[in-house]
Amino acid sequence: MNDESKSCSVASDGEPTATHSTVPVWIFALTLALLFLGGIYFDQYSGWFDANVYGPYVSANEVELYQPKSGAAALLAQGRGLYEKNCGICHQPDGMGKPGLFPPLAGSEWVNAKGINRLAQIPLEGLTGTIEVKGQQMTFPAGMVAIGAVLSDNDLAAVLSYIRGSWGNKAEPVDADDLKAIRAKIGAHPQPVSPDQLMKLPE
Amino acid sequence: MKNGAAVFLAAFIALGASWCGFVLAPVLQLGGAKQAAVLNSSDIYPLQPVGDATLGLQVYRAEGCAACHTEQVQQDGVLCDVVLTSPGKNPAAVSSLVSSLTLQNLTKDAADAVANQITLAGGKSETHVFATGTDISRGWGVRHGVAADFLYDYPVQLGSLRAGPDLSDIGVRAPAVNWQLLHLYAPRSVTKNSTMPSFKFLFEVRKIGDAPSPDALNVPKEFAPDDGYEVVPTPGAKQLAAYLLGLRANVPLYEAPFTPPEVPTNSPADKK
Repeated sequence: MNDESKSCSVASDGEPTATHSTVPVWIFALTLALLFLGGIYFDQYSGWFDANVYGPYVSANEVELYQPKSGAAALLAQGRGLYEKNCGICHQPDGMGKPGLFPPLAGSEWVNAKGINRLAQIPLEGLTGTIEVKGQQMTFPAGMVAIGAVLSDNDLAAVLSYIRGSWGNKAEPVDADDLKAIRAKIGAHPQPVSPDQLMKLPE
Repeated sequence: MKNGAAVFLAAFIALGASWCGFVLAPVLQLGGAKQAAVLNSSDIYPLQPVGDATLGLQVYRAEGCAACHTEQVQQDGVLCDVVLTSPGKNPAAVSSLVSSLTLQNLTKDAADAVANQITLAGGKSETHVFATGTDISRGWGVRHGVAADFLYDYPVQLGSLRAGPDLSDIGVRAPAVNWQLLHLYAPRSVTKNSTMPSFKFLFEVRKIGDAPSPDALNVPKEFAPDDGYEVVPTPGAKQLAAYLLGLRANVPLYEAPFTPPEVPTNSPADKK
């Protein structure tokens, strides 16, 4: 009982209260210094939270630097982008076309021809009539428009190289200079060609 | 309570900051992850698992494979090889230059310098990029593991302990389904000193009926059951094997670039 009364008297001296006091300057300085070092570390090693940056790469620029680049790869990449934008809607991104409607490009004898004299006419002038591909008669409902005529020689060369080198196709890539010559022959007013007309051209 | 608002605010900020760091930031970073193009090819990666492989992950998880196996390859660095693709118009000068230079295991800067010298001499070269690291030199994968490897895995089975080898590309290293099943049935029948436990309970040892089952394993004599009996995988074993065969993290991606061993034959470099 005695003890209890003692502790009570201690408590009655006054309730402890929180008071204010200034934070020491060194804590403030240390915090700033750590933040600064952390910031430097973050900048150097975080890759700025880029989803494409994994160690040992430290920045998106470095990842870009190490992309294996060759002329062929760059051409195919360019061609793929253009193909998917311009051609893939009908011929499909996998180059299989739609049975009976849009001819497949994968394994097509027109695409895999040795030269591009016939192949290049199709995007440059458009196509009418029924075309036989892989032993099947195919016809575009409204013909194919000269969708390649608006592309530059380089872009069209990339697209044609892409379709000639993808989905199991293994034909030679296309040179932009060859396309330039073909385009010059066609002139300013392209007319859709028929497969029969194409067959008259040299391969 | 004194300063109740301040305590609430401090707790809210502390929890909110960790929510941002652990939930929001990863979602912003990888929430929109999709199948991506494989570098320099018309393939996409990863392919969505079909059939048995979709269920195999749950068997993998149930059997605790991740307790001893990882699915993450570490990469310590990246090096380049310069490969001469065409000697150009002055082959003698280019070949003497090339023989005087180091062409392999170069840093990017050194490789660029070498490639530049070859170009100046009139030759053409390509720079091949490859990943290095202890995991990679042990033959476990060819590049570091990236989020894309786990696009269709839920939950992701990263693993943290390697009592057994890494399995990121086990479907490439051991592409035969009979090997995978045999390894589950009797690990030491295919890997001599394997410490892996046998998963015999995923198989049924039964008397051969009128004809042997088409699924029956081709078990070596030492591990085979008695004559007249055959080992037939259960659906679980088949699903697990299908899942393992689908682990093929060996393709170059934008975020994990390297030059694959086979260069496409259809390249203008071949033409010139």
